[in-house]
Amino acid sequence: MPPALLTTSLVNTIQIGSLYALMALGITLTFSVMKLPNFAHAEYVTVGAFAALIVSLSGNVNPLVIMLAAFIVGALVALVSHIAVFKPLEGREVSFYTLILSSFAVGLILRYILFMVADYFNLFDTRIRISLQILLREGYLILTNIFFWVVPSSILLVIALTLLLNRTPLGREMRALANNPGLARVIGIPVERVKNYSWLLVGGLAGVAGALWGLQTAVSPLMGWVAIISVFAAAILGGLSSFAGTILGAYVVAFSENTVMLFLNFNFGLDLAYKPAIPFIIIIAVLLIRPQGFTELIKRAGDLKR
Amino acid sequence: MFKKVLTAFLILMLIVMLGAATTAQDDMETYVLGVALPFSGNLGTFGQDFARGVELAVSQVNAELDAARSSIRFEIASADTENTPEGASRAVSTVVQTTGAQVFVGPLTTSEVLGAKQFADENGVVIVAPASSGAAGAIPGDNIYRVIYPPDVFASKAYANIALERGHENMVVLHLDDPFGNGMNEGFTANFQAGGGGEVASFAYTPGSTELSSEAAAVSAALAGFGDNAGFFCVCFLSGAQAFLQVAQIDPVLTSVQWMGNEAMTAEEILADQGHAQTLANADFITVSFSSESTPLTQIFIDDFNAMFDKDPGIFTNYAFDAANIAMLTMLAAGNDGAAVKSMLPFIANHYIGTAVQAYLDDNGDQAIASYGLYQVSEDLSAFDEVGAYNGNTDTITYN
Repeated sequence: MPPALLTTSLVNTIQIGSLYALMALGITLTFSVMKLPNFAHAEYVTVGAFAALIVSLSGNVNPLVIMLAAFIVGALVALVSHIAVFKPLEGREVSFYTLILSSFAVGLILRYILFMVADYFNLFDTRIRISLQILLREGYLILTNIFFWVVPSSILLVIALTLLLNRTPLGREMRALANNPGLARVIGIPVERVKNYSWLLVGGLAGVAGALWGLQTAVSPLMGWVAIISVFAAAILGGLSSFAGTILGAYVVAFSENTVMLFLNFNFGLDLAYKPAIPFIIIIAVLLIRPQGFTELIKRAGDLKR
Repeated sequence: MFKKVLTAFLILMLIVMLGAATTAQDDMETYVLGVALPFSGNLGTFGQDFARGVELAVSQVNAELDAARSSIRFEIASADTENTPEGASRAVSTVVQTTGAQVFVGPLTTSEVLGAKQFADENGVVIVAPASSGAAGAIPGDNIYRVIYPPDVFASKAYANIALERGHENMVVLHLDDPFGNGMNEGFTANFQAGGGGEVASFAYTPGSTELSSEAAAVSAALAGFGDNAGFFCVCFLSGAQAFLQVAQIDPVLTSVQWMGNEAMTAEEILADQGHAQTLANADFITVSFSSESTPLTQIFIDDFNAMFDKDPGIFTNYAFDAANIAMLTMLAAGNDGAAVKSMLPFIANHYIGTAVQAYLDDNGDQAIASYGLYQVSEDLSAFDEVGAYNGNTDTITYN
């Protein structure tokens, strides 16, 4: 594999892996706290991207403002979907499978609302108005302003989420709820309030991820849905419970889709059109061989550190 | 007594009137025109606009039939192809089973058309596709008629000629992994190599992909491997083209070679991004696009569309309008019968002049008149200017 190709693929791995991590953390958080593998998460990502697009089209191209708008809109949409759909269903104590199906339904409804919005305002295949600039060129290494927005933003948000979960009362309440919802209620944790905050956080993170993903591609009503399989593969690699495992999983998926895929294409002629199969292979392999994903690995690493 | 007589008279009148109405209705014959287009998915906007074009055609034909006191009226039965081959097959079969439609306008893309082909052929249903051009759809004797847009055998030859004219010894192709993309890639490769060109490295990507950084890296490496005098040919839909341009614009190899690309890359959304527009201009990007020459009916169509829908027709919407007219004229001549329509349609199409070019079908039932324009980014990056023409029938390129 030529060094230029290897370097580019590794840069892509870091950039795309960071975005997958940001998207996958929301899925892990939803599953941990709300016990729901939420397929509507894809649409929270898309909603964030559209919010970012509309803000940028209105003339504001400050990435911080764009990300803030995406966070707010994503958070609100997630909260509304919780209040309107998931909360009433939980109240009726429906099965796990009904909740999954309802998340598909919420996703579909949101997606087609976005289609209507995009059609009405002629927003199909429109790009967020932030132009690409090369900020660092060193040999084969080329890093752009998008890289310096995507990677640090993702890392900072991941750190912020970790701090929130481990160092704040809300984070402790969330973890308590994740461990034992019944007990959390008994000891006086305001379960509904904590859930509302969790949904806001999940939607907000997805929204920001959508804005950053939109910088990488074009904004379309299907963009979140197209990415969601890779994101779920990352979350499943993380065992759907470990945040560190999810982040690791995101980079493994991105590495497989970029560096491994290019290695196979360059050396063995494997068609790049097989790239979308990689997350499916990962999901099946994990479920067959190591259903707990990286959870045990991360736990053992933590034990060793102690 | 008077009341009884009056009641009997009224009942009698009612029966006579109902009978007359029933007889009048019995005399009226409704022909169902099926419409199978992508109303959802990334091509949903195209599908909805195409459907409006069909609706306009049907309303105009019905008005003429009414004025002529004909007993035939057309009715539309639509279904969403969801922009997939399976969806197209499902859409056509659903409309046939629920309404008995024998003739369809649509689907849109070649992969959708091929998806619906088996059902259409087996059930004697005729498909009049307004915009499909993939070489894989050029099949003699089937029930598919592609009446407006010529098949890509012409365009792929034009691209090969341009590549050879530009002195490219080897080429790298990035293409959609669908019948349209694969057909264009195969046609281009065959024509390029037949004309004396060297190696062609092809990379396929999955339709719907929104992130193509791996593909860009692979294309760049292949171009670097070929050295000087290599060119790049992109066969992408708009979203793929944008995703590719986003990463290609900073690639030192991709920004140092000449590019060609299919007409989806000439969308105004591409030029809306200055970086993308500049990349295409620097790469001497050229595209070959079917030139729909204006006829006296073009402006009338635009005005009528505006009057009916209070908006301008979208790009290529007139193809759907023309396809619907050809389908309905054939049904009026041959009756509401798939086999008769299949037999009659080439004759009607060959005598039809609509809002685009005249239709003239080849042995595959495809448009045989192949006039293309060559387009490049204008100096101020605001539009694609016509810089020449390609006549597919004589295989000649002329530059302005």
